[in-house]
Amino acid sequence: MAMAALRREGRRFAPMISPRPITALRSSPLAPSLEDECPIGVRYISTQVVRNRMKSVKNIQKITKAMKMVAASKLRAIQTKAENSRGLWQPFTALLGDLPSANVKKNVVVTISSDKGLCGGINSTSVKISKGFHKLNSGPEKETKYVILGEKAKAQLVRDSKKDIELIITELQKNPLNYTQVSVLADEILKNVEYDALRIVFNKFHSVVSFVPTVSTVLSPEIVEREAESGGKLGDLDSYEVEGGETKGEILQNLAEFQFSCVMFNAVLENACSEQGARMSAMDSSSRNAGDMLDRLTLTYNRTRQASITTELIEIISGASALEG
Amino acid sequence: MTLNLCVLTPNRIVWDSEVKEIILSTNSGQIGVLPNHAPIATAVDIGILRIRLNDQWLTMALMGGFARIGNNEITILVNDAEKGSDIDPQEAQQTLEIDEMHNLACLFVNVK
Repeated sequence: MAMAALRREGRRFAPMISPRPITALRSSPLAPSLEDECPIGVRYISTQVVRNRMKSVKNIQKITKAMKMVAASKLRAIQTKAENSRGLWQPFTALLGDLPSANVKKNVVVTISSDKGLCGGINSTSVKISKGFHKLNSGPEKETKYVILGEKAKAQLVRDSKKDIELIITELQKNPLNYTQVSVLADEILKNVEYDALRIVFNKFHSVVSFVPTVSTVLSPEIVEREAESGGKLGDLDSYEVEGGETKGEILQNLAEFQFSCVMFNAVLENACSEQGARMSAMDSSSRNAGDMLDRLTLTYNRTRQASITTELIEIISGASALEG
Repeated sequence: MTLNLCVLTPNRIVWDSEVKEIILSTNSGQIGVLPNHAPIATAVDIGILRIRLNDQWLTMALMGGFARIGNNEITILVNDAEKGSDIDPQEAQQTLEIDEMHNLACLFVNVK
């Protein structure tokens, strides 16, 4: 009875002697330095505070684990689609060639990014490449414009390149991606933007842990003609007899538009895969970090608890011995 | 000598094997392709592709696209393709009616 009363007394004094460490704890988020920040003379911190922190860290860990699972299942769904669409642009490259080094006057950079965040660094790398391209290709004769797909790139590019942005498209993934949707989009872009070469910047999905930023080039039909005449890779184009329309130019125009929409479709799917994969790995590392933090907090909690019990015991014993002696 | 035929759509590879002959319907009429055809790049209309394998003809419906023929390799890129055997006439009729209402873009487009 007396011991219980004394224990209660001990606990009542505790908040009075240690008001500072509580605030110090709240302002610094790092668990290991909890005890270093207590002012000298105070034995321990309240266990309640540590327990609250542990609860919130555990909740964060649960949430990030769930987000990782969701991203994994979404990835599985899109991955098959992306792989099936990869075969489509290869014939184009075989026929028309892929000329990233084509020297053109009007470049349009189509930057593909995600709408939601928490997906690692993929959006920043895409934006960095787009900006680098812009810098390389802006001069007296050449100019570069942006077409932006996705909120994240919009947020980053609107800040410094506002005047160069032609078109912004967001909420692309509201409905599951399909070719019709993307071809309508490609149509819009082709209608509204003048271009000699379109550079599509996206993250190619190699595996769950590797996403490589890539640039696909689609040339306008006039440039294709020019390059074909000058020989080189596209020289073979002339050996094909072109049928099915009034003029060769018209066919090439249709072909270029079809190529653009196919390449866009593939790029959008690959970027979506990369986004889910990056989100998986980001959430995985954050749940692991939360686990580590939880371990450290548990140790601190136990130490704190044992210290407070020891203090109480000492007080009780010294009180009892004072009574006796 | 056989032709190697590849029919690709954005969603999947529909056909990828060897054939004896094909009949393709383009904007300027139907063309038949036999081995050692001259190189051609052509636009393909919405129509029927007939494939012959060893005296047996298979049909496939194509939704328009492009075809490239050269070196005994035929690559047909179309928006969509369906094998004749996979098409059910009743279902096709219903889908036709539904699709006639589905020709709208379903995106949010923010034009700057």
